[in-house]
Amino acid sequence: MIVRADHVAGAAFVAFGLGVFALSGDLPIGGLSMPGSGFMPTLVAGLLVLFGVVLALRAGESAPLADIDWSDAKHAILVILIAGAAIAAYTWAGFIVTMALMVFAFLVIVERRDLIRAAAYSIAATLIAYGVFAKGLNAPLPIGPFGF
Amino acid sequence: MEATFASLLHGFAVALQPDNVWYAFLGCLVGTLVGVLPGIGPLSGISILLPVTFGLNATQAVIMLAGIYYGSQYGGSTTSILMRIPGEASSVMTCIDGHAMARKGRAGAALCIAAVGSWIAGTFGIVVLTVVAPPLANIALRFGPPEYTALLVLGLIFLAYMSSTSLIRTLTMACTGLMLGMIGIDNMTGHFRYSFDLAELGDGIGIVPVAVGLFGLGEILATPSTKVVGEVIAPRLRELLPNRQEWRESALPIARGSVLGFIIGIIPGSAHIISSFLSYALEKRVSKHPEEFGKGAVAGVAGPESANNAASTGAFVPMLALGLPTGPITAVLIGALMIHGVAAGPQLVNEHPDVFWGFVASMYVGNLMLLALNLPLVGLFVTVLRIPYAYLYPLIIMFCIIGVYEVSHSIVDVWIMLIMGVVGYALRKFGFDPAPLVLGLVIAPMFEQSLRQSLIMSNGNYMIFFQRGIALVLIAVSIVLLLLSAVSFVLRKDWRAKLAEAEGGEGG
Repeated sequence: MIVRADHVAGAAFVAFGLGVFALSGDLPIGGLSMPGSGFMPTLVAGLLVLFGVVLALRAGESAPLADIDWSDAKHAILVILIAGAAIAAYTWAGFIVTMALMVFAFLVIVERRDLIRAAAYSIAATLIAYGVFAKGLNAPLPIGPFGF
Repeated sequence: MEATFASLLHGFAVALQPDNVWYAFLGCLVGTLVGVLPGIGPLSGISILLPVTFGLNATQAVIMLAGIYYGSQYGGSTTSILMRIPGEASSVMTCIDGHAMARKGRAGAALCIAAVGSWIAGTFGIVVLTVVAPPLANIALRFGPPEYTALLVLGLIFLAYMSSTSLIRTLTMACTGLMLGMIGIDNMTGHFRYSFDLAELGDGIGIVPVAVGLFGLGEILATPSTKVVGEVIAPRLRELLPNRQEWRESALPIARGSVLGFIIGIIPGSAHIISSFLSYALEKRVSKHPEEFGKGAVAGVAGPESANNAASTGAFVPMLALGLPTGPITAVLIGALMIHGVAAGPQLVNEHPDVFWGFVASMYVGNLMLLALNLPLVGLFVTVLRIPYAYLYPLIIMFCIIGVYEVSHSIVDVWIMLIMGVVGYALRKFGFDPAPLVLGLVIAPMFEQSLRQSLIMSNGNYMIFFQRGIALVLIAVSIVLLLLSAVSFVLRKDWRAKLAEAEGGEGG
């Protein structure tokens, strides 16, 4: 049997729906005349399971899983890792340090750009963004241990 | 009618205040840039800039955000015509004949026809909105929980029926959005639901991190810079005016596109995208020279561009009159109003006339601004298009992080954005449209509350939805749409497949 995209997608939605059921144990469903806080989640999770099953049953209309183009996956993983690191550091390292390093990492690690140009661009872009948001729009941006 | 006119005059008095004109201008300019830049659509543009409006009052905020929305519809045509890259989804059809015109040395004329068509369609849409929205809001004042439940069910089914992906896929996405919308404190009982002891999740998952993640970050993850290559055809300023023949050929397509676009815009779904596809198909069908389509037909630019602008205005009718989002963009705009303490819906016109009429009047002003902006500044937009994407997307990610963090200064929101970016990337790979997810997230609290209130009112009797006139009509229309979908499913004659087929044919 050829595993198709909708087999995987359908299974994921069934798992999601069942996960919601499992997590809803302590929520009162109530009755039709007085629906509780678990009423709608149970209804929607049931629909998710139903739609997931229908998707999987009709998977013949979707492309084989092996045909999905993952050529951009390396780019996506690098962007996720760099952005994740920046988010983890954002509140304690401060806006300027984190964002300058993040832009620099994108340009050097993902895009393989020249080090000096990448450094100049990332510092300039971050400082301009800081000026616009922190000074121009009075948006309070996170401050790092160095006071900026 | 006289009352409407007097209210509109009041709206102009609000919209023409220097501050409001400035924010309309800023919104239109940013919107045009958002439309011009590949990889950042109107939804991510609005979401990223939403926190910027926190210091403004509700009128200024909605004027600016709406300017971004309809500005992006104008801007999307620029990349389509000059680079054959749609700046945003609704400009896909403009690529075909717009770029063909540019290749024939008529880039300026194509840009001018797109801008004038957009302006006429946008203005037509606002005139109809001005007339239609207030009486519709008065009717909606009679809505109780059963009517709202029926309306939201109809909205979801319409969305699924009109969506470019299959009915099941759209409903699955909408249910996922509804599920995410139930995270946090239950408003009726005070129970914490699925918050995993995270205090930040007590208020639920915000629209902004989800929208920015799915549409902004998700798009960037799926677009390596090596895939963004484009040669820009730069028109000269003196070539901007179309000749008499081109004006003549564009007049009727603009008129047809305006009417068609507005009607489709009112219907929930990806209206501005569908309207441009349908307008292109209509123009080809009624043309005496259908063989010219794909080779630089003026009607192939004028029709779709007018239709997508009229649709973006039409989408404001249910948003302003009923508080019903017809798509993710209007959903975010409703969220923006809520952040400013204003509820969109039938009470808006009476309780906040400054916001309602100021907003409507600002659209007249904004459309005029866009016409003035788009043509003279085409050189600036060409320069922006020449910035390598590799340098652009790190900045977009920076703006995504700033935008999401500034909403509630919560790093949890930024993590949610990153997770949603990964989800958006995976959804694209598996052929799901993430837009219904955002819509489901926005309507979840309203839907749950109205359904539960209806059941409490009727002591658990589902017949309440069939015993009240308005609710009955809405449910009947929902059933008809479901039956139509079932017939398509059984006969395997899906209009979406035909549309995709036609698109492939044109594009090829």
